[in-house]
Amino acid sequence: MAGSNEVNLNESKRVVPLNTWVLISNFKLAYNILRRSDGTFNRELAEFLDRKVPANTIPVDGVFSFDHVDRVTGLLNRVYQPAPANEAQWGILELEKPLSTTKIVPVIIFFHGGSFAHSSANSAIYDTFCRRLVSICKAVVVSVNYRRAPEHRYPCAYDDGWTALKWVKSRTWLKSGKDSKVHVYLAGDSSGGNIAHHVAVKAAEAEVEVLGNILLHPMFAGKIRTESEKRLDGKYFVTIQDRDWYWRAYLPEGEDRDHPACNPFGPRGISIEGLKFPKSLVVVAGLDLVQDWQLAYVEGLQKAGQEVKLLYLKEATIGFYFLPNNDHFYCLMEEINNFVNPNC
Amino acid sequence: MSPYDSATSAGSSSGSSYASSSTTKPADIDGLLAGAGYKVRSSDLRHVAQRLERLETAMVNSPVELSQLASSDTVHYNPSDIASWVDSLLSEFNHTPSLPSDLPDLPDIVVGPGINPTVKIEGDATWMDHDAPHQQQQQQQQNVQSLTIPPNQLTVVAMEEDSGIRLVHLLMTCAESMQRGEFSLAGSLIEDMQSLLRRVNTTCGIGKVAGYFIDALSRRIFTPQASGLFGGSVSGSASAYENELLYHHFYEACPYLKFAHFTANQAILEAFDGHDCVHVIDFNLMHGLQWPALIQALALRPGGPPLLRLTGIGPPSPDGRDSLREIGLRLAELARSVNVRFAFRGVEAQRLEDVKPWMLQVNSKEAVAVNSILQLHRLLGSDPNRSPPIEIVLGWIRQLNPKIMTVIEHEANHNQPGFMDRFTESLYYYSTMFDSLEACTLQPEKALAEIYIQREICNVVSCEGSARFERHEPLAKWKSRLGQAGFRPLHLGSNAFKQASMLLTLFSAEGYCVEENEGCLTLGWHSRPLISASAWQAAPDANSPLGIVNHHHNNHNAL
Repeated sequence: MAGSNEVNLNESKRVVPLNTWVLISNFKLAYNILRRSDGTFNRELAEFLDRKVPANTIPVDGVFSFDHVDRVTGLLNRVYQPAPANEAQWGILELEKPLSTTKIVPVIIFFHGGSFAHSSANSAIYDTFCRRLVSICKAVVVSVNYRRAPEHRYPCAYDDGWTALKWVKSRTWLKSGKDSKVHVYLAGDSSGGNIAHHVAVKAAEAEVEVLGNILLHPMFAGKIRTESEKRLDGKYFVTIQDRDWYWRAYLPEGEDRDHPACNPFGPRGISIEGLKFPKSLVVVAGLDLVQDWQLAYVEGLQKAGQEVKLLYLKEATIGFYFLPNNDHFYCLMEEINNFVNPNC
Repeated sequence: MSPYDSATSAGSSSGSSYASSSTTKPADIDGLLAGAGYKVRSSDLRHVAQRLERLETAMVNSPVELSQLASSDTVHYNPSDIASWVDSLLSEFNHTPSLPSDLPDLPDIVVGPGINPTVKIEGDATWMDHDAPHQQQQQQQQNVQSLTIPPNQLTVVAMEEDSGIRLVHLLMTCAESMQRGEFSLAGSLIEDMQSLLRRVNTTCGIGKVAGYFIDALSRRIFTPQASGLFGGSVSGSASAYENELLYHHFYEACPYLKFAHFTANQAILEAFDGHDCVHVIDFNLMHGLQWPALIQALALRPGGPPLLRLTGIGPPSPDGRDSLREIGLRLAELARSVNVRFAFRGVEAQRLEDVKPWMLQVNSKEAVAVNSILQLHRLLGSDPNRSPPIEIVLGWIRQLNPKIMTVIEHEANHNQPGFMDRFTESLYYYSTMFDSLEACTLQPEKALAEIYIQREICNVVSCEGSARFERHEPLAKWKSRLGQAGFRPLHLGSNAFKQASMLLTLFSAEGYCVEENEGCLTLGWHSRPLISASAWQAAPDANSPLGIVNHHHNNHNAL
């Protein structure tokens, strides 16, 4: 038992830079302490350990941010924008005029990861990631602070995502282009990717236009154990056991992993064939044990006649995009940039 | 003595050296991890990684201890310092009495020739090292990015109404015209705003806050230096009493002061552990709201309460009343009722810088706690002809060598030289604070709390020079200032954090949040911290041959 753990630690060390290994291992071990075997979660300790950063309307490296809180629901969105060219405008928010009347500025609604239980929109790792997205894609990013499990189970996260989408679509100051509308993309990593899919389904059903979905090693699952789960269990920071714990914390009590929330194209899935679903960019990390489910998702989209591009990063582990110290990061950013700026 | 003990203390002192040492160059800290909120020296990465491996092995091998860690009262400190965090957890595993006898050897112990050498983790350089030039360059750029985030912390609640947005723009334009000296333009803008106010809901939201700022701007133009009305340096006869009343209602209406008292008391209680004679110096007694809880906690201390002395500093009372003494008497009665030996002394001073340490009558045998709730920033105004009051006061505090100094300050940047910067910052800060106050339904607490806040706004916006004493600076600046003045941080841990979180659920509405910031705690509204709490003690004196601070009975000479 201990021997196999040593082998596992060695494997993950071989494929990531040292500081990435320290970062993700630190999360892994902290998360092990936070999850209790009875299904409860040590939320106070989780909030204590999570490194958070405030928003900043003064641009830092060309990006500024501010928080919006819905008075009624308490839902917080953190908005990131490229800095105004005119320095005299720094610190002052433009909440009346559109982003541009001539060119299109993509607005990416981002759902952070954390397996539905961890992290927040103001977590340092996600704040940093969103800033990088803005810089590279010249987009506006809206990071949603959705309610988390186990305190808030399915469908809370999806409801919050849908609320955020409606809010974004109705902001005059997020409009752009000659057609004067909000050009929205949905994006998310891990559980955030799962949320992006379900919000996109709801949007398509309600005929609310979403231009594209970006799913970064999205979190899906099913009752059966796939080959990749068995092969990669415990090898690269993630175990089947912890994945099971998070699904038990998110899904309604008593449910199993064929619930359509985690298995949208499974035996209980609802068909999206014929629906005006956005094009998808699905990024799969080759060392992620969930990949067989992610690949099944891609296949499911294809079978439903939906447009999807798969970016398979063979040697990538989960969380490869937190630090820009590897090729996968740059490859990912280029793909996302091309996805949201198709005419550039 | 486990091998991890020394590692633990090294970890924690290296944690404090990150905070207060001026010798740790920023370039030493891994820039990418800094962007993720962690402080690890690049040269320490391998060591930290090994520690993480050991911790994982320990967790895998002792699932019982792991589940205890998950639900126990293990206290965590300063999670930004991964090294010390991991070490403190490792020591938890090593100190558990039920260490299994069949615990396999730790990987770095050589076990014999038959073992496959690749199993040995110690010294393995198996991590990928990316030396590609463009990535190094990116890494350097990232270093710069993550370390130059300025202390400006601005968040805003987006305004939905058009009039609300226009009000904010007008406020900014008015402030800017004042900065430029265009007073007639500023004056006419004020009139515009006042008429716009009539079309906006002023009972809540941006309308209410804007009203106060318009008022403050108007005072700045039309009645400058009139801040004497608002307490502090020049107090009329009603002023001290009014201040105390407003303060008390602010205390009741929202959790900021309760959080301050709660967190400071917890830290003081811990610092006083094992001491039989303790002396608390309160820089602003007010109604002594903070102290009943500490007295009761000391009464319940295992081993019995110490002798508690409390020295309360406050302004001279008008009309001959000795209000300090009255508060002292009430606290003494409470102490008597719980069998805590207690002595009170009141020190009257118009300003904190007028207090001299001999007035505090500290004796050499007692453990001293200095408690400063929203007081230190008042010492930041400087007269070019005098030594800065903050330096004088911090100097004598350090000479007292207190067991702990608790510092609570506004988490705001309201002391910048440029008026426009101060104005913008305070607009966002107080908007957030007023927003949090909306949840309060207690009257008249809420109304009086608003007046309390309004006075702060007026001082920040309409006063200058010595009249402006609300010179709030953010935690990052205080850390640097206190570090340079010869103090080092005492980390507030997850215990204090947990209790602060529980306090919030008992007393307050949804939306308040406590955050940990490298050993300090902040309380804010949604994601914007508004008040910070930190604890300090005197760093060893580098100049003294024994490394100890001048003992306080030498103060007479120092003056």
